[in-house]
Amino acid sequence: MNTFMRWAGCFVVLFIAAPLVIVVPMSFSNASSLQFPPPGYWLGYYRSYFTDMDWLIPTWNSILIASATTILTMALVVPATFALVRHKFRGKGFADLMMLMPMAVPHIVMAVGYYSYFGELKLVHTHLGVILAHTCLSVPIAFLVLSANLKGFDRNLERAAQSLGASPTQTFLHVTLPILRPGLIISSLFAFIQSFDETVVAIFISGRDAETLPRKMFDSIRQEADPVIAVISTLLFFLVMIGIAAPYFASALRSRVPKPSRPASVAY
Amino acid sequence: MTSYLELSNITKTYGHFTALENVSLSVDKGEFVTFLGPSGSGKTTTLMIIAGFEKATGGTVKVGGLSISELAPHQRNIGIVFQNYALFPHRSAVENVYFPLQMRGVSRAKGMKQAEDMLSLVGLKGFGHRHPKELSGGQQQRVALARALVFEPSLLLLDEPLGALDKNLREQMQIEIKRIQRSLGVTTIFVTHDQSEAMSMSDRIVVFERGRIEQAAAPLDIYHRPQTSFVASFIGESNLIPATICCAGNKTAKSLALGSVDYAGADNVLLDGQEVTLLIRPEHIKLSRNPVDGRRNAFMTVETIVNYGDNALVIGRAGDIPLRVRVLGADVVIIKEGEECCVSWTPDSVFVITK
Amino acid sequence: MGISLSKLTEKADIWPWLLLAPLGIYMLIFFIVPLADVAIMSFTEPKVSLANYQKVLTGALYQRVFLNTFLTAAFVTLCCLAVGYPLAYLMANSKATTAMLILLLVTMSFWTSFLVRTYSWMVLLGNNGPLIAFLQMIGVDQPPQLLFTRFSSTLAMVHILAPYMIMNIYSVMKKIDPALIRSAESLGAKGWSLFRHVYLPLTAPGIANGSVLVFVICLGFYVTPVLLGSPREQMIAGLIGHQIEEFLAFGLGSAMAMVLLVATLIILTIYHRRFGLDKLWG
Repeated sequence: MNTFMRWAGCFVVLFIAAPLVIVVPMSFSNASSLQFPPPGYWLGYYRSYFTDMDWLIPTWNSILIASATTILTMALVVPATFALVRHKFRGKGFADLMMLMPMAVPHIVMAVGYYSYFGELKLVHTHLGVILAHTCLSVPIAFLVLSANLKGFDRNLERAAQSLGASPTQTFLHVTLPILRPGLIISSLFAFIQSFDETVVAIFISGRDAETLPRKMFDSIRQEADPVIAVISTLLFFLVMIGIAAPYFASALRSRVPKPSRPASVAY
Repeated sequence: MTSYLELSNITKTYGHFTALENVSLSVDKGEFVTFLGPSGSGKTTTLMIIAGFEKATGGTVKVGGLSISELAPHQRNIGIVFQNYALFPHRSAVENVYFPLQMRGVSRAKGMKQAEDMLSLVGLKGFGHRHPKELSGGQQQRVALARALVFEPSLLLLDEPLGALDKNLREQMQIEIKRIQRSLGVTTIFVTHDQSEAMSMSDRIVVFERGRIEQAAAPLDIYHRPQTSFVASFIGESNLIPATICCAGNKTAKSLALGSVDYAGADNVLLDGQEVTLLIRPEHIKLSRNPVDGRRNAFMTVETIVNYGDNALVIGRAGDIPLRVRVLGADVVIIKEGEECCVSWTPDSVFVITK
Repeated sequence: MGISLSKLTEKADIWPWLLLAPLGIYMLIFFIVPLADVAIMSFTEPKVSLANYQKVLTGALYQRVFLNTFLTAAFVTLCCLAVGYPLAYLMANSKATTAMLILLLVTMSFWTSFLVRTYSWMVLLGNNGPLIAFLQMIGVDQPPQLLFTRFSSTLAMVHILAPYMIMNIYSVMKKIDPALIRSAESLGAKGWSLFRHVYLPLTAPGIANGSVLVFVICLGFYVTPVLLGSPREQMIAGLIGHQIEEFLAFGLGSAMAMVLLVATLIILTIYHRRFGLDKLWG
């Protein structure tokens, strides 16, 4: 069983890795259609991406929408998470469940809803419309991350701060907020990525005017399989790689700072 | 001496559950008082009420003659060391100690200097720049202590601060805390469920049980003259023997298991026919193969012998009463499990508990 | 025993509501209402009737699509399990560095936009792609059409959803106490029986978690089946999109969306009863 599992595992590694790395050589290909291995290499499609407004505007839209979504999501989720984690009240179980619901509803269902409802509100094909919809979809993931952090927060730290003379406001600013910072950052990051990657709702409601990058990619793959997609895929791939590697490097760098050795006189 | 901390009739209820019932206590300035009791006995709740994290349902807390019941925790000027130390992970040791000074508007330059001095006092000179997770349990403990003392609090509260340390370190810290407390003369309340810790550190022990104070007295008084059978059983090893006073004039009680037992004295007036409990500490019982002359002897069947090297615990039965006897390690060879032997004691070692 | 922090929290019960209110109102306006809109449209478009549901639940085309969707989702879940379990096992039982590298790879895959991954499969399976070239090299003269078939969309979905399965199973495997396996061995279990009676039951929660997650996501999957699948073998989400975009058939699309929603919620409710919904994505 053991050896079989190992071999199967190695095979799966290949299965998972191959599609991730294949976009990199494709992005340097000079073929005008999907061809692998590429007949030759050039940087032409990189130039196309960085000069073509049809690609740059959706990119900008996506960044704008994801940023706004992140801010709105955090503004709504942070207070709500404090309420749900730190207080007991009637209907708390229901409220907890409601926070997760947007994750449980298939995006295509929400897309139909937003398409019709935002149509009435004149929010279809607007940045605001996409931001409002994306915020709703980002709430559960932001809440999950933040509430896990807040549940692990040692309330004694706040009690200690108060006993040491910090008012409730000072306690929040000097103790609660700094200690929660990593959780807040990760939670914001997740909200951002959720919005930046969201495709289905954007396909239905972003239109030409607020077209997001995933929507543009979707249309492009569907219609002509523009090789620029390989460029974007490669860029996104490396962005993810940097994002995942950054914490490792940060901690590696931090631990390289020499620590003074422990004086022998104090033995504990 | 006038009392410094004054708890009067503190009551705390949660719905129908009474966590504290009429707790009253006076603590003198500079005194080291230990709250001792099993978990759920109300000792920590009392501490939290003094600190201001819990609001008492009734009663008042006064420090130096002024009521602090209505003050928020940050206005009370009370230093606390929590069981898990609650050091701020985002601040270095010295910044942790500086925190209360910062909150009091002390400039960074002056405050950090003061914090460094305080760290030296607790034996952590040169450790200030380290973050809590780079410190050992004992060092974290010292930082927490320094932080709770640096702003010259009117009271120091310690909530089971030694619970997380291993045995050797715990003993070291007991001595250390005592030294620091004495040198600063700060009035201290120490909460623990560990009786040996309470015995070794305190000026006075307050025993809590089910939301009430069972007894408040000096450690040796608590040990030798427990007022209730709970205190007797909670502190030290004890043999508690139900008995009836048969002749108060002769200082004799009658027990079903041990027959007549002489006692030396009691704190309360005893009446003939009164139901009492006799306390005999295991180390005060003498074990012998044959009856000892001049003493009342009883017979015990030995069931188990537990050897500790320097001493041994002999567990047996006299009639239907279980008895525990401590003997010196060398003496244990005289008996074997399953044998019957004689137990005896002097009247001095019998204490009568009426409650 | 609740020890309240400050007077703010002492003063009681208005605070949590005040903190929850903005989000609550937001969710009402931008989550509940649009969802209700779908429900209402399914009964009222184009006129008030049950006709949409009648058509969706009894029409041969729709029945085939529903069946196809469920079978595909089940098959993808099984494949993810077949792919994910060995890999999770490999991660949980290899050296720290190997395990970390694989975890890094799975994490990379997880965070890479599924549009990118879908596109990669187009390259891999395309007529000028490496797989066809390989088939030709080993002597297959007329290689089959791989792209835009049920095969390509299923393969891509397995690839896209496998990380969910792997992460879930791995997190459970990692927590298994090796002493447990050793003690099972000392008690005489080995090989298949050790796996069947000890390891598998211990990893069951991870399998359940991963499977529910993969199945539910797959049920409502839109992008990959639309881009890679055969137009003749659509899944529900694709058909809903088709109805709305091509025919503006809001009633019919909404009715299908409701069926999809109800099916999803039934599965999640069963899961919630047994494990608690917050564990699913944890």
